[in-house]
Amino acid sequence: MWLNHRKLIIIMFSILIPLFLSGCWDSREIEKRANVLAIGVDIASEEDRKKEDEISHLSKEFPTPDEEMIKVTAQIAVPGEIPLGPQQPGGSAKPVLVVEVVGHSFQDAMLNLQQEVANELFLGHLRIIVFSEDIARSGTSRFNDFLRRNPEIRRTASLVVSKEPASKYMNITPELERIPSLYLAELVDNLTALGKFPPSFIGLFWTIYSSKGQDPYLPYLELKGKSAIQLNGLAYFHGDKMVGKTNPLEIGVFMSVRGIGRGGYGAFAEVPGKDESVLVRTVSRNTRTKVGIKNGKPHVSIKIQYESEIDEKESAAIQLSDSAILKKIEKATSKDAKRSIEKLIATTQKTKSDIFGFGEHFRAKLPQYWNRNVKTKEKWDGIYQNLTFDVKVDSHIHRVGMKSK
Amino acid sequence: MSFFRKKKRTVKKPQLLTPSKLVSQKENTPTSSSLTETEKQIKDILGNNEDLKIKHFKIFGQFSAACVYFSSLVDKDSLNKDILKSLMYEPDHLMGKEKPLTQLIDMILTETIYHSEAKVGDSIDQLIQLMLRGETVIFIDGIKEAIHIGTRKVEKRAIDQPQTEQVILGPREGFIESIATNIALLRYRLPTPDFQVKTMKIGRLTKSTVAICYLKGIANETVIKEVEKRLSEIDIDAILDVGYLEQFIEDNPFSPFPQTQSTERPDKTVANLIEGRVAILVDGSPFSLLVPVVFNQFYQTTEDYSSRFLMGSFVRLARILALVFSLIFPSLYVSLISFNPELLPTEFAVAVAGGRAGVPYPAVIEVLIIEVSMEILREATVRLPKQVGGALSIVGVLVIGQAAVEAGLSSPITVVVIALTTIGSFATPTYTAAFALRMLRFPIMILAGIFGLYGVMVGVIFIFNHMLSLKSFGVPYMAPVSPSDYEGMKDVVVRSPLWWMPKRPDFLHPSNQSRLSENENKMLEHSKLGNDQREGTTDGGSEGNNSTSSHNDLN
Amino acid sequence: MGDPKEITALQATTILISTIIGVGVLPLPLFAVRAGETSAPFVTLTGVFLAAIGLMILTYLGIRHPHKTIITYSQDIIGKWLGKIFSIVVIFFFLILSSLTAREFGAVVVTAVLRETPLEVTVIVMLLLAAISCRNNINVFAYIHNLYVPMILAPVLIVVAFSLKNANLLYLRPIFLGNDLWNMAGGMLTVSALFQGSFIITMIIPAMKTPKKAMKASLWGILISGGLYLLIVIATVAIFGPEEIKQIFWPTLELARTTAIPGNILQRLDIIFLAVWVLAVFTTLFSSYYFTIHSIKELFRLKDHKVLSYFILPFVFFLAMAPQNVLHMYEIIQLIGRAGLLITIIYPAFLLLIDFLRSWRRKKNVAKPS
Repeated sequence: MWLNHRKLIIIMFSILIPLFLSGCWDSREIEKRANVLAIGVDIASEEDRKKEDEISHLSKEFPTPDEEMIKVTAQIAVPGEIPLGPQQPGGSAKPVLVVEVVGHSFQDAMLNLQQEVANELFLGHLRIIVFSEDIARSGTSRFNDFLRRNPEIRRTASLVVSKEPASKYMNITPELERIPSLYLAELVDNLTALGKFPPSFIGLFWTIYSSKGQDPYLPYLELKGKSAIQLNGLAYFHGDKMVGKTNPLEIGVFMSVRGIGRGGYGAFAEVPGKDESVLVRTVSRNTRTKVGIKNGKPHVSIKIQYESEIDEKESAAIQLSDSAILKKIEKATSKDAKRSIEKLIATTQKTKSDIFGFGEHFRAKLPQYWNRNVKTKEKWDGIYQNLTFDVKVDSHIHRVGMKSK
Repeated sequence: MSFFRKKKRTVKKPQLLTPSKLVSQKENTPTSSSLTETEKQIKDILGNNEDLKIKHFKIFGQFSAACVYFSSLVDKDSLNKDILKSLMYEPDHLMGKEKPLTQLIDMILTETIYHSEAKVGDSIDQLIQLMLRGETVIFIDGIKEAIHIGTRKVEKRAIDQPQTEQVILGPREGFIESIATNIALLRYRLPTPDFQVKTMKIGRLTKSTVAICYLKGIANETVIKEVEKRLSEIDIDAILDVGYLEQFIEDNPFSPFPQTQSTERPDKTVANLIEGRVAILVDGSPFSLLVPVVFNQFYQTTEDYSSRFLMGSFVRLARILALVFSLIFPSLYVSLISFNPELLPTEFAVAVAGGRAGVPYPAVIEVLIIEVSMEILREATVRLPKQVGGALSIVGVLVIGQAAVEAGLSSPITVVVIALTTIGSFATPTYTAAFALRMLRFPIMILAGIFGLYGVMVGVIFIFNHMLSLKSFGVPYMAPVSPSDYEGMKDVVVRSPLWWMPKRPDFLHPSNQSRLSENENKMLEHSKLGNDQREGTTDGGSEGNNSTSSHNDLN
Repeated sequence: MGDPKEITALQATTILISTIIGVGVLPLPLFAVRAGETSAPFVTLTGVFLAAIGLMILTYLGIRHPHKTIITYSQDIIGKWLGKIFSIVVIFFFLILSSLTAREFGAVVVTAVLRETPLEVTVIVMLLLAAISCRNNINVFAYIHNLYVPMILAPVLIVVAFSLKNANLLYLRPIFLGNDLWNMAGGMLTVSALFQGSFIITMIIPAMKTPKKAMKASLWGILISGGLYLLIVIATVAIFGPEEIKQIFWPTLELARTTAIPGNILQRLDIIFLAVWVLAVFTTLFSSYYFTIHSIKELFRLKDHKVLSYFILPFVFFLAMAPQNVLHMYEIIQLIGRAGLLITIIYPAFLLLIDFLRSWRRKKNVAKPS
C-alpha cells in the first residue's frame, strides 16, 4: 500500500513538474486576443497594392500567387472599450478597430494583418464575412480553403455579398448596437427567422458548393444611406463564381421552389375585374419536386402550395366580404407566382446556376440516369441549361386579419 | 524503501514506575481481607489524588468497612441516600437475623442496598479501573471480595440541536458527548430486539467505550464482522473522537474522499441502521460513524425523506448541481477565458474581455489567488468568535471583492464565479465530502490552466476513476450508480416516493431486503387511484395493523 | 484470479459499448462515404453486421470456456506453443491499437483545440490516465465503463438531434449505390475494424457472474454502439452530403460545429463535443490497454498486472509517435485495422472450428467404447 502510493506520487510529480515548467501552450487570455468580429474582402485597387509589404514572401525570390490581390478589412473588438453590463452613455472612443490590409491570398492578408495588430488574431468570434460583388464574381473558392482549414472559424458564420466595396460595411456606424459587426451579423441571422431568406451560413455555402447537383446562393446586401443596410436580392453562383442577382421579391420565389416552408414575402395581387390590388403575404409553403425523364430528356415538375394571408387592401373599392372574391384573388396570385417562378428558373438556366438543387433530385431519385449521363458537375450544368420544367401553383388564402370587409 | 526508516534505538531508558504500571503489576491480585492493607494498596497507587475519598463506616453498626471513590466522578446524592444510608441503618427485615461474615456480601446485595448496579469484584486492578470510571467500591474488613456500585455521574450538556447538520423539517435532537445518552437516543427510536449494541474499549489511556450498533437481520453479517475486526486491531493511546477511529478503519487513507460518514443526528443514524449500515459510537464524541458508505449519501439529508418526494427531489437536484459547481466551475471559467472564448456568445465574450482588460495576471493565477484568499477567509470565519464572525464575512466578501476588482487584481466576473463556487460548496450537507471537492478543485484548476477543457476533462475522469475504485467495507463507493442497481437508483438523483422503494438498496447486501410489506404496498396502490374510483370499496384504508390506541407510548 | 466474479450482463454490455465507441466516431463518416458515397449508411450497416458476426464467434467461444480468456483457452485448443504464439500476436496487436488510439486522439486535439500544445504531451497525458486507471481490478474496470456510457451516448445523441434541423434527405438517396462494389467491401472492412475493441469480451466472460448471459450482452452492445454509429453516419450524410464529407477529416466534429443549441447558450458545440469525446477515447484506450496488460499477465502467468501498467507505457508511447503526420496516421490505421480483422474475426473463427472438431471427436471417442 505504502510503496505503491509513494511510487505513484513520485511518478505523478516527475510528470507534472515539467508540465508546469513548460507552461501553458495554448493559454491566451481573452483580452489578449484580437477578436476579429467581421471581415470584408475586396479586390485591391492600384493604390492599395502599393501598400503591400513583404511579409509572407519576398517579391522576386519566391513565387507569388498569380491571382488578383485582395484587400481585407477586419473589424476587431478593442478590449476595454466595450463596457460590461448596462451601457453607460458617452464613451467617445470607438469600440472597434478597423484595419485594412492587402495580400495575395486570404492567409497572406491575415499574416499582414497580424503584423499590424499587437495581439494574436482570434477568429473564433468571426460572425460575418462580406465579399464585395467583384470578389464574388471573380470566384470565392480561393478563400474557402483557408476558412475551412482553420478550426477557429465557425461553420455557422454568415457569408454575404455586398454591392458596395466590403470595406464600407466595416465602417458603418449603426445606431442600435455599439458594435457595428454584431448589428450586421444579427441582421443577416434574422433574415432566416423572418422568412426573408433561406438558411444561409458559410457551412451551408460550402456544402452546396461541393455537391454536384446544385449551386450556392448568398444574400446580396446594399447600403442605404449612411448606416442602413438592405437585403437587396439573392446572389446566385455558378460554381464558386457569382453570376447574377435577383431582385428582393424573387427571393420569395426562390424559397418556394427550394421548398423552404417559412414564408415572409408579400406581393400585390390584382383583384380580377378591378384595377386595384391587395397585398397577399405568404405564411407558409409546401413544395413538391418531381423529376423524371420525358421524351428522353430530363424534366422537372414542381408543385407548390401557398398558404397566404391578406394583409392590406389598397382602396375601399375592393370588397373582401365573400369567399368568392378570395378564390379569385387566389387564382390571380397563383398565376403571378407561376409566372415569376418560370421566369426565375429561366434566368438561372441562362447562367447555368442550379441554385434550386434540381440536380440533387436527379442524383437521388434517378441514380441510373445520373450515373449514365451526368456524373460530373460540368455535365450537369450543361443539362440544367436545357432542362424542361413545369410549374403548378396552388394558393390558399385562409386569413384576412381582423377586418371583416 | 528501507532507507527511510531509522534504525531502532537499542538503548533503554530507565523505566519510570507510573501508577498505571503499578496497576498492571497487580493484575489479578486478589484484594486482601484486611481493610487496612487494602487501603494501603490503593493509597500507594492513587494516593496523590485530592479527589480520591475513603470513607470509613460500619455496616449495620457492626462490620467496619470503607467506601472508596473519586468525589469528582460519583453521584454523591445517590451515594449518601442509596448506599451509605441503607448500609448504616440495619433494615427492619434483617433485624435480629444472624449475619455471618460469609453471607454478608450476599445479604447486602440482595436485601440491603438500594442500587441496581451493585456487583462483586475481587481483584485490585479491576477495582481500581472501576473506581477510575466513577464507581464506588466498598471494602469490608474480613472479606476478600469488594462490592462495586455504579455511581458514575458526569456533567453533560443537554440534548441540543445538531450544529453542523441543521434541518428545516425534521427532528431537532443531536447526539451529545455521553455515549449512554446517545445509545438511549437510538434505542428510543428503535424499540426492537434486533437493535444490537456491542461495546469494546479502545485506547490504552482513554479506554474509551466504543459501541457498534446495528440491526441484526438487516445489516450484513460480514460487514459487522469486518467492523469488529478492524476496530479490534486498533492499538492507540487515545481515542478522543470518532474521527480517530475513522482514520484507522477506512479503506483508503490517501483518498480525499471520506469513506465513512459521521453524523450528529440520531434520526439519520437510525435511518442508516435501517438501511443496513453499522453505526459506531464513541464515548466523548457527539458523532456517530456510519459504514459502509456510498458517495451519493453525502449529498442526501434526512430532510429529503421527511418532506414530500417532489420537494425532496428538487432540493436534491439543486444540491447535486451545487456539488458539480463547487468542483469544476472555476476551472470551466479558466478554460473558457484562456482557451476557448469562442464558446461564449460574442457579445458576452467582448464584454468579458473588457472586464478583464486591466487585470495583469492570466485567468488561472487570478482565480487561484481569489480562491486561496477565499479559503483563508472561510477558515478565519470558522475560528472567529460568533459576534465578530458575521461582521467579518460581510466585510470579507463585499469589501475585499469590490476592492480587488477596483484595484485591477481581478475581473468582476471572476469574483462572481468564485462567489458561486464557494456558496455551492456550502450546499453539500456533509462537511467532509464538501471538503474533498473543495480540495480537488485546485488540481483541476491547474489542469485547466494548462490544457483548457481537455485538462478539466482529464481531471474529472481521474477523480471519477478514483472514486470508482474506492470501496467502503466491500461496498463500491459509487454504487448504486456504477455498479448500477435498480432499487438503489431510485434514490440517487431524485428521491423517489417512499412507496416506490419497497426494497432496501441492494448494494449494501442487506440480509433482509423488504422495506414495505407486500400487503401494505397493494393498499397504497389502491389509494393512489384517486377518490372517485374508491367509492365502491368499503375497506379502504383501515386494515393496517398499526394500532393507534391503548399503548402509553407518549411519555 | 483473486477478484470475485461480479460483472453482470449490464456491465458487460456497457463495457462493450464504451470500448467500441471511441476515436473512430470522428472519421467514421469519411471512411463510409469514401467507400459508398450516398450508400454510406448501408456500408456502415454491413460493417456493423460483420463486426457482430465476429463478436458472436468470440462470445460463443468464451461461453464454451467460461473460466478462461482467449489467451488461456487458445492454448487448450490449438496446443500450448501455437496458442502462445498467436496470443503474442494478439497482445502485440492490441498494443499497437492502444498506441494508435492515443495517437489519433492526440492528432485531433492538436489540430482542433490545443493547436500549440505539443502532440507528445496530449498523448502522454491520455496514456498516463489509462495506465493509472489500469491498476485497478477488473470489477473497477467494469464500474468505470458502466458510469461513462450514458455520458458518452448523451452528447452524441444531442448533437445528432439538434443537427437534424438542417438535414437534407436528398443526400441520403440512393440508399444503395452499386457503383464500386470492391470499394464498398473495403469500406465495410474499415468500418468493422472500428469495432475491434469488442475483443475485450474474451477478457470479460471469465469475470462474469453468469457467463451464459454474455451472448445477450454482446448482442445489445453491438446493437447500441452499431446503432449509434449508423445514426452518426446518417446524420452527417444528411447534413453535408457525400461530396462535402469527402473534404472533411472529421465529419462528426464538423457536425457538432454546424449545430447550434436553440437559445444560444453556447455558441459552439464542437468544443463541448470534443471534451466529452475525451471520455469516449479514454474508455477505448483504457480497454485496449487493460486487455494488453491483462493478457500479458495471463500469458506469463504473472500474479499482478499493476506493475505492468507502467512498464508498457513507454512502448505504447513510442509506437504512438511513429506515424509522421495525420495523413500517414490514417493510412496506418486503415491498414492495421483491416489486418486486425484477421486477428479479431478469422482467428477466433479458426479457434471455434477446431474446438468444434475436437469436441466432436471426443464425443465420438466417448461413444465408441460404450
